[in-house]
Parts: sequence; structure tokens; C-alpha cells
Amino acid sequence: MKDFKANLNKLFYPDSIAVVGTNKVVGTVPHDILRNILDADFNGVVYPVSPKERFVAGIKAYRYVTDIPDPVDLAILVFPSSVIHLALEQCGQIGIKAVIIISAGFKEVGGDGIEREKKVKEIADKYGMSIIGPNCLGVINTDARSKINASFARRMPEEGSIGFLSQSGALCTAVLDYAYAKHIGFSKFISFGNKADVTEIDLLYYLKDDPKTKVILMYLEEVTDGPGLMKAAQAVIKAGKPVLILKSGRTSEGASAAASHTGSMAGSDDVCDAAFRQARIIRCQDIDEMFNIAIAFAYQPIPKSKKIAIITNAGGPGVLTTDAAIHDGLELAKFSEETTAVLKKNLPKTANINNPVDVIGDARADRYNVALSAAFKDPDVDGVFVILTPQSMTEIDLIAREVAKVSHHYRKPVYTSFMGEADVAQGIDVLQRNKIPHYTLPESMCRAFATVYQFGIEQKEQPKKVKIFEDVDDKIVAEIINDVKSSGKQYLTEDLSDKVLKAYGLPVVRADVASSPEEAVKIAETIGYPVVMKVVSNEIIHKSEAGGVILNISSADDVKTSYKTILKNAGIYDPNAQIKGILIEQMIPEGEEVILGLKRDNSFGPVIMFGLGGIYVEVFKDVSFRVAPLNVTDVEHMIAETKSSAILQGIRGKKPRDMEKLIECILRLSQLAVNHPDIKELDINPLIVREKGLGAFVADARIML
Amino acid sequence: MEKHEVQEKVKKVVANVLKLDPDEVVDDANFIFDLGADSMQSLELVAAFEEEFDIEMDEDKALAIQTVSDAVTFIASYL
Repeated sequence: MKDFKANLNKLFYPDSIAVVGTNKVVGTVPHDILRNILDADFNGVVYPVSPKERFVAGIKAYRYVTDIPDPVDLAILVFPSSVIHLALEQCGQIGIKAVIIISAGFKEVGGDGIEREKKVKEIADKYGMSIIGPNCLGVINTDARSKINASFARRMPEEGSIGFLSQSGALCTAVLDYAYAKHIGFSKFISFGNKADVTEIDLLYYLKDDPKTKVILMYLEEVTDGPGLMKAAQAVIKAGKPVLILKSGRTSEGASAAASHTGSMAGSDDVCDAAFRQARIIRCQDIDEMFNIAIAFAYQPIPKSKKIAIITNAGGPGVLTTDAAIHDGLELAKFSEETTAVLKKNLPKTANINNPVDVIGDARADRYNVALSAAFKDPDVDGVFVILTPQSMTEIDLIAREVAKVSHHYRKPVYTSFMGEADVAQGIDVLQRNKIPHYTLPESMCRAFATVYQFGIEQKEQPKKVKIFEDVDDKIVAEIINDVKSSGKQYLTEDLSDKVLKAYGLPVVRADVASSPEEAVKIAETIGYPVVMKVVSNEIIHKSEAGGVILNISSADDVKTSYKTILKNAGIYDPNAQIKGILIEQMIPEGEEVILGLKRDNSFGPVIMFGLGGIYVEVFKDVSFRVAPLNVTDVEHMIAETKSSAILQGIRGKKPRDMEKLIECILRLSQLAVNHPDIKELDINPLIVREKGLGAFVADARIML
Repeated sequence: MEKHEVQEKVKKVVANVLKLDPDEVVDDANFIFDLGADSMQSLELVAAFEEEFDIEMDEDKALAIQTVSDAVTFIASYL
């Protein structure tokens, strides 16, 4: 049995490390890994293992890991892939539980590499080892208790509270370089490569409990276990740590081959987007955005409200910041009389003492000090944005120090944007060293603040449980699916689709066939007026043309008369037609047309779609997605995400639609999706949503297996 | 050539190229894992075998050989 947590503790906090396959050739991975461990001042013992060398970097080397006389906690394997299994087997034999395989030449190269990776996993499972990699950059732990740079990165990053996980090793080195320039520190830095054994999910759970990590960033190329990733991220977020993911591969491959509206619109990236939103993972578009948000989480408290004060020495940037703030849903705080009095007394007459505060272009550090202190003290202010443009008299460094000094006394977040490049560089460096978030553009600053604020709001929401409907009939659904499957068909006919939906309590239009006027009346009265009557005959395809359809029938007398009329019309239209009866159908009332859908995604499993229905559904693409099972909050969010939600709330004098019933329909569909994985795709298009309190009706549906 | 002659010659070549004591070159020794051959030395080994036995080997197949005994069998197939 593998104890992931204990193994990962050995990996991040080992007392001893063996570098297996190292050599003396400077500039090669096997050598530089050992060098990096030594240079990072690792708090433990290091054992070079090399078949040929008797010492490496002045340290006695062992021929085999099994020759090491003392216990080894962590082995780092740097041999070529063809012999990794031999080294790993020896590690297992002497009880090493944590291993990093740096070497490439596994799954990523295909062919024999796939077999080699399988072998690695088999050995890991046999000995209960946890393995990071293969094909990775390695692992860094900046915690002073351990201090490991078990990677071939060029440098050890600063200590910090950001945990970074990456599927790409090369991106790691770029990120380390980027972060170094901005004084961004990390708690743990992990390149997990091919994730043959330890996955990003295991690492998320580990970092959830890591006291040194406040925020987790991840670069992902593929999601192999979508539900597992969502669950792990939710657990981390529940523990108060935000999860930011940069996921590459935004193309919607595979969507074109889909057979349903839902299938064609639910591209893999749309689903990934929706799943991340559902799990409250913050999806970032690029590295800049990721770190812009990460430093806000890492350096500053979560704001209590979205009311901010802007302090600027330039009017234009102040307006730009205000625009961006309002665009991102933030509000400008309304200063108290006391605040405006302080500002009025201490700032020049030309200054703007209202929010945004303009301390005027010739402002030195003292004016920023006054404005900052006043803003922080104001009870309506829950965040301060400091804007600076470099004039000839602007004390850039001093102002940066003032921001750091003053903000230190308050538990309110401060964000900065020193606009420019060369002249402001030194001031920015001061801010970054003092862990004050700095943004090149005010727009990025506002977006970061809004993201952090939203995270704080969502943290307070109580997650709702998934409602299970007990009145569904799984037996009928399973029987229908089995029958259709055994007949070799992939589509359910209209009546079978209706039966499946009906078994799940979805409001299918009620209908039955009558063979006499009296029976017709009985059926109509069971269904409820008004009804539609249609001739049932294989010979009469165009029923309306034949006078075989009568709409809006509201009484028993009209049913009897209509029955006779339809029979007469049909006889005239085709005297040879065989009439099987008259279909009595519930008249579909007026309402808004929406679409509900279901699709199976390779990474995330059952995906539910909601959106504007009708024949133009693929033109307007006003749809949203969530991964089943859904709770009420998920459904409310997915409805609110679409433009159609405004229509459903009632616009231009129309009454609001039956949202309660709509939500129930989506929840029932979610349960159907989870309980019957044989259903590959499903469209309910349209679902007619009537006025509030009057329900909804499935007007048409398709189910594909 | 008898198999034991091939074996002796292979071990001699390996010891020379990898600069090892001939006693270390045992039958089941793995060129990389036990004898510490790097990628350059693997190429040198193939060239040295070809010269020693006056043969021309399929390079991809030759480089895939992992142990001394496998090298003996492989070379013998060319003789």
C-alpha cells in the first residue's frame, strides 16, 4: 500500500538524497543536478551514485545505490531511460520511497518509451514508492528546514508562499527566470513531467496541507482525470488556498464529429473552462496574468469589500484606473468628511481630494504619505490603488518606500502601478522586494483585485448538496437502453426518447392514441384541455395537408366532432389509407425556447449544456456548460452565464418564466447523465419554459448511445 | 570463431574503450548501468567491435544492445 503523504514528505523533506547516475561532466544534467543540490545548501546528506566515478564534486561516490551504507530518503535518477528500471528496482530493494526521474525517453517518445514508463509504474507500485516524472525538470523546496534544488534549473528561487506545479519542464525554467526578476518567491516548485505515478492531483492534496503554501499555480497541457482534478482543487480552495491554472490547448478538436447540437458546441476547451469555473479554479490566459493574480493572493489580505481608493499623481491614468475598476465590478469608496478634511488641509488647492485622489504631478513622497494614510484610515475604503507616473521631481524610490511603510500598518490591501519602464524600475524593485503587488498596467491591477475579491466572496458561500430525485425509474431507462443497444442501433426513436425522459420526471408532452370518439374524450380529459388531435396512419405522411390535424380543442364535444372530421378528411385524402387511430396530444403552450443537452467529455465525463434553444442554437451559441452531478448553485450559475437568462427573467413586459421548473429539469438531466453512462449525447431542443408557476415542456428530444 | 573467443575479444574491447579493469567486464554487466558507458562511448564501442571483428553492424540494433553477453550473441550473428 502506497502512503502518498509520507512518501511526498520524504520527497520534499529528505534527510538524505542519492543522485543516481551522476557524473563529473559540468554542463550535463547528471552533473548539474548534484551541483544544484550542493549549491542550495541542502540540510542533509548527499550521496552521488555513479558506476564509474569514485567521487563527484569532492564527495565519495557509490557504484550502486544499494552500496550506500545509510538509509536514503530520496533518489534522483538521471540515468538514460533504457536503464532507469534497473536503478529503480535497486531503490525499491533498499526501501527508498521517494524518487524523481529526470530522464526523458518515456511515454513522450512513443514506442518503447511507453513500455518503459509502464515498467516504471509497475516497479513503483511493487515497492510502494512515489515517483515524480519521468521527463521533468525536478523539484525545488525553498523551506529553510530542507532547502532542496533537485532540478537542473539555473538558480534556486527565493523563499515564498506560491506553490508552482508544471507539466512542462522547459516552462519551469522560464517561470523561474521571470519570477527571479520580480522577486517572486516559491514555497515548492515541482515539474511533474509525464506524471507516470504522482499526478497533479496528488500534489494538489499535498500542497493543501503544506503550511508554507498560500496559493497554488499550475501549468497543464492535458487533463487526464477531470473529476479528480476538480475534487482536489475544491478541497484546496475550501482550505482557503486559491488554485490558478494555465491550461494550454484551446483548440476545440473533436467537436466537429459530434452528432448533436450539444456535441458540436461542447468543445473540449469550453468544457474545461466551465469545469474550472464550477470548481472555482481561476483559469489564466498567460503567465503574466497568472502571476499578477498570484502575487495579489500571496502578498495582500483578501479585501472585505470591493470599495477602493485610487491615489494618483496624474489625471489620465487615474481615469484609466477608474474605468478599469468599474469595468471589473469594483466601486470607488466614498470618503468620509474627516478624510476629505485631512486631504484638503494637506494637499495643494489644485489637488483632487475626492476619490480618485490626484496629488498632482509635482507630488513628492510627503503628499503620497498624506493621501495613503487618509485612504487607509477611511472606513469606506477596503483597498488602495497607488498610481505613479515619473515626472522630473517625482521621488520614485521614496514613494515606493512610503507605500511599503504606510501599508504595513493597515490590514487593507494595497496594489500599485508605477507606469513606465526605465525611470520607474528602481521604485518597482523596492515595491517587489517589499511584497507590494505591482502591475505595469492599471487594468491588470484592477483585474487581479476583482479576482481576489470574488474568491473571498465565494469562500463565504456554503456549497449546496446535489439533490437526488427519488421518483425516477432507472429500471425502465436501463431496459430501453439495453434493447436499443442489442438491436445495434445508436439512436433512440422519438417515442423511446420520450419514455426515457418521462421516466426521469422530465415534462414530456402527454399523448395517447384513441380508436373511438369516446376513448378520445377519455384521453383528452386525462391529459387536460386544450389538446391537439392528429391522424395516425403510415400512409398519411403530411397530416396537415390531409386535414388530419386539428389544434386547440377545448371540450369533449369538440373532441368527438374533431375525431369524425379527421377520419372523414383522411378518407377523402387517401381512401386506401389504413387508419390506426387518432393521436390525442397535449397542446404545447407558449413559452421561451431553451436547449438542454448532455455530452460525454473524455477528460471530465458527463457535461450538461444549457442555452437559448430553437433552430439557431448553433448560430448564436448562447450556451453554458457544467460537469455533472450538478447542485442548484451550479445550475443557477450556468443559467446566469447566458444572455438568455435576461429573457427568462422577463423583459419588455413579459412575465418571468418558470425558473424553478427549469432548474429542476436541468438537475434531473444531470442525474440521468450520471446514472446512465451509456447515453453519449442528448438534446432537449426546445424545452418550452412557461410563465412562473406553469412549468415547462419537452417539445423535442434526441438521445444517442 | 568459437563463442568463447568472441566473448574474450568483446570483453577486451569493452575494457579498452571504457578504461576498465577486464575483471569488471562480466557477462551480465550492463554497459550503462554497471560499466558507466555514456552515449559517446556507446558509439565508440560499436566502432571498436566492427574493427576488432572486421564486420559492419546495423548501428541502431547495435546501440540497443545493453549487456556484454547480448553483444557477444549479436556479434556472433555476423561471423
